[in-house]
Amino acid sequence: MDVFNLAVAAAPSFVASSVEFVEALTIVLAVGTTRGWRAPLVGTALAALTLAVIVAVVGVALVTIVPRHLLQLVVGVLLLLFGLRWLRKAILRYAGVVAVHDEELIYQREIAELRAQGLRKAEWDWVGMLIAYKAVLLEGLEVAFIVIAFGATSIAALQHAVWGAIVAGVIVTAVGVALRQPLTKVPENTMKFGVGAMLTSFGVFWAAEGLGTAWPGDAVALFGILGSVLVVSWLAARMLGAMLPQGARVEARNV
Amino acid sequence: MSKFLRAVWDNTYGLLVDDGALALGALAAVAITWLFAVVATQAAEQLGGAVLLVLVCGLVIANLYTAGQNARRRAG
Repeated sequence: MDVFNLAVAAAPSFVASSVEFVEALTIVLAVGTTRGWRAPLVGTALAALTLAVIVAVVGVALVTIVPRHLLQLVVGVLLLLFGLRWLRKAILRYAGVVAVHDEELIYQREIAELRAQGLRKAEWDWVGMLIAYKAVLLEGLEVAFIVIAFGATSIAALQHAVWGAIVAGVIVTAVGVALRQPLTKVPENTMKFGVGAMLTSFGVFWAAEGLGTAWPGDAVALFGILGSVLVVSWLAARMLGAMLPQGARVEARNV
Repeated sequence: MSKFLRAVWDNTYGLLVDDGALALGALAAVAITWLFAVVATQAAEQLGGAVLLVLVCGLVIANLYTAGQNARRRAG
């Protein structure tokens, strides 16, 4: 296990995947608590299998078939789009323009909906299985994208990114099983902010390399890019704080 | 099934595009950097990355300024 791939593939993949697994866990917990565990666990396992196939097919094909410069450009642009989206939303949440993601509220809402649907005990719970499958697959698609994007530079990087996501999944699942409740204490917005900044930085780095430009210091330039993105994001958050009156913030938070 | 596929598509599209102006801005920044890389002299080639970084940082500030203005207008 080399330090470079640990820093640029495994660690970002671990943090980003953790956030997505927390969101998927909330739904699976709600289904299991209200309708029994067998069907949602089967749905979760099937979704995990689907995602493994997606990463194996798309990830390995990208790394082995697509020329390096083209791959850097495509992955760089995708990372840039993906990272800017996370960064923007996290900053808007800090400023109170967008409501903060509330796992407890989502959990309670999901439980109320599932209870309203009812369950006949004699039948296999297709509804529970499909809800869990859909939730894990949809959140997992983001994980698959992150793993492929961070691992796209080489097979070694892909392996590190996969391990980062697997470890995140195991930890989140273990904590969720132990607590039997949504992980509301996880600082999701701060994690998304950090991941958004990392994704954006990697996106800038690889897109520029894909266009044939060289960075002074090569990969070391990533730290400078990340620092610049963090400073600009902090300035943007301060700017929004100054622009919006306190009343507007409170109103937005209550949406 | 079609609902499910629609949800998968929406989610996949949503992975990359939350705000259309931001996504278009990012693509424009990459296009400008590409133009710079094509016309730049060999000495200026190393500045291509810096150009993209500056454009992206400017884009973040401009997009969030607009979002802030819209939020302030909505709040009345």
